[in-house]
Amino acid sequence: MKFSDTMKDCRVIIMGFGAVGQGVANAISLKKEMIKEEYGVNLKIVAAADSSTSAICQEGLDEDLLVKTKKETGKLKDYPEYGGDKSNIDVLESVDYDCLFEATPTNIIDGEPGRSLTLKAFSEGKDVVTSNKGYLALNFNEIIEAAKENNVLFRYEATVGGAMPIINLVKDTLSSCNVSSIIGILNGTTNYILSRMTSEGSSYEDILRESQELGIAETNPEQDVEGIDAACKTVILANSLLSIPATYSDVSVDGISSITSEAIDLAKRDGYLIKLIAEVSPENLKVSPRLVKEGSAYDVNGTLNMATVKTDLAGDVSVIGLGAGSIETASAMLTDLISILKLKY
Amino acid sequence: MRMDLVLAVLDVPGQLVRVLEPISGLGANLVTVIHKRDVKDDKGKIPVQLTLEGKRENLQRVIEKFRELEITILEMDGFVKKIIVSTILIGHIVDSDIRDTMDKINKLEGVYVSGFDIQLNGENKSSALINIEADLDKKQLVFDRVEEIANEKQLLMINEV
Repeated sequence: MKFSDTMKDCRVIIMGFGAVGQGVANAISLKKEMIKEEYGVNLKIVAAADSSTSAICQEGLDEDLLVKTKKETGKLKDYPEYGGDKSNIDVLESVDYDCLFEATPTNIIDGEPGRSLTLKAFSEGKDVVTSNKGYLALNFNEIIEAAKENNVLFRYEATVGGAMPIINLVKDTLSSCNVSSIIGILNGTTNYILSRMTSEGSSYEDILRESQELGIAETNPEQDVEGIDAACKTVILANSLLSIPATYSDVSVDGISSITSEAIDLAKRDGYLIKLIAEVSPENLKVSPRLVKEGSAYDVNGTLNMATVKTDLAGDVSVIGLGAGSIETASAMLTDLISILKLKY
Repeated sequence: MRMDLVLAVLDVPGQLVRVLEPISGLGANLVTVIHKRDVKDDKGKIPVQLTLEGKRENLQRVIEKFRELEITILEMDGFVKKIIVSTILIGHIVDSDIRDTMDKINKLEGVYVSGFDIQLNGENKSSALINIEADLDKKQLVFDRVEEIANEKQLLMINEV
């Protein structure tokens, strides 16, 4: 091992232990050896918390046992020896750590608990990687400024497009270019519903019901089908990549719940598909059903996400990827952590 | 001078002659005609490619004549002149006065509704596809106007990306 003499620890806390939080634990379990070898850093989960309980151990918890415990009992307090009733901010105060993985649920009313957890971590000089769109969509600047003031790193690739690279792609890989717009499909659930309505000619209500049975749509599907989720992502892209100081209420939002199978049929006859499209440009911040040409870059089906970035030097650059999923979203968070490791360790 | 044109002409007997007839009378020479019968659009129109020769003012008179005859000029000297945009409306389209919707779009200069297809669904909301032919620089204007009409009539508009 090349780094054996200089091996450093990076102690992380995972807040939120649903699909994404568990995905992070699984991803760390799968990749910690690679990270040791490539970057000389020993990744340790020192705490993980669900909505009301946690497991905390300064020496490090076992990633696989965390996931197993959560799956079997539903509560992290059942983690052998180190499980307990601490939750939320108390967890951050009970253990020394270097980086917070913030994976609590999206809340677009007040951004909590993600907002407070993130600001608390910043104030203690800790770096944060988040998958949580809510507080960023509500007050992007507050969070970015707080990270700067505290001289910490903040990464949020997983908030938009799950595993599909877009924020880091534009910031790092396309850093020579100015971006004039980003147009894309940023919600997998609605893309799945519209794709199936197109291939089967069935009604919106029927496909929504089936998607709920398959676990692709949530029991309360409003955030997805009314375009709220895509609008949050629109705000994050506008602020982070186009320097548009927008907030959630600046986005014009139409969902897919009034799309008829007749409309899809009419579009098809003219060589078009109907997709829920997010448009991010200085002229338009908009989520709405749009016509896209069959066979174009927007002709992407199932739960996939896509985005086309219009740049001055590189022309149009399009990406496609899995927009949701446990380990897939966690991959974006782990990549963010690695970018922090490269800068700081 | 020479000029290349692409026209959209209905694929029915007599239409090609109608296009070609005025040319010599206005002092222009027809150099080539390419009649592409295998690429018909949804409205039954086919592209006819012409190369004309003549004095600038005579060529200009031919263009004016075509406009007078309401012949669509798709391209002139390689430049695209007209575009067809599509939009879908969902809602109570018939009840909200379909004729008025069309008239409002047609009122824009250089813009007219070239296709309309509606699917009714009993008492429920109906869906309509509208094709609009417009001068190249009018695309945004068309979308803005249709959006205004849709908002006014509480219809959901689905525009092209």
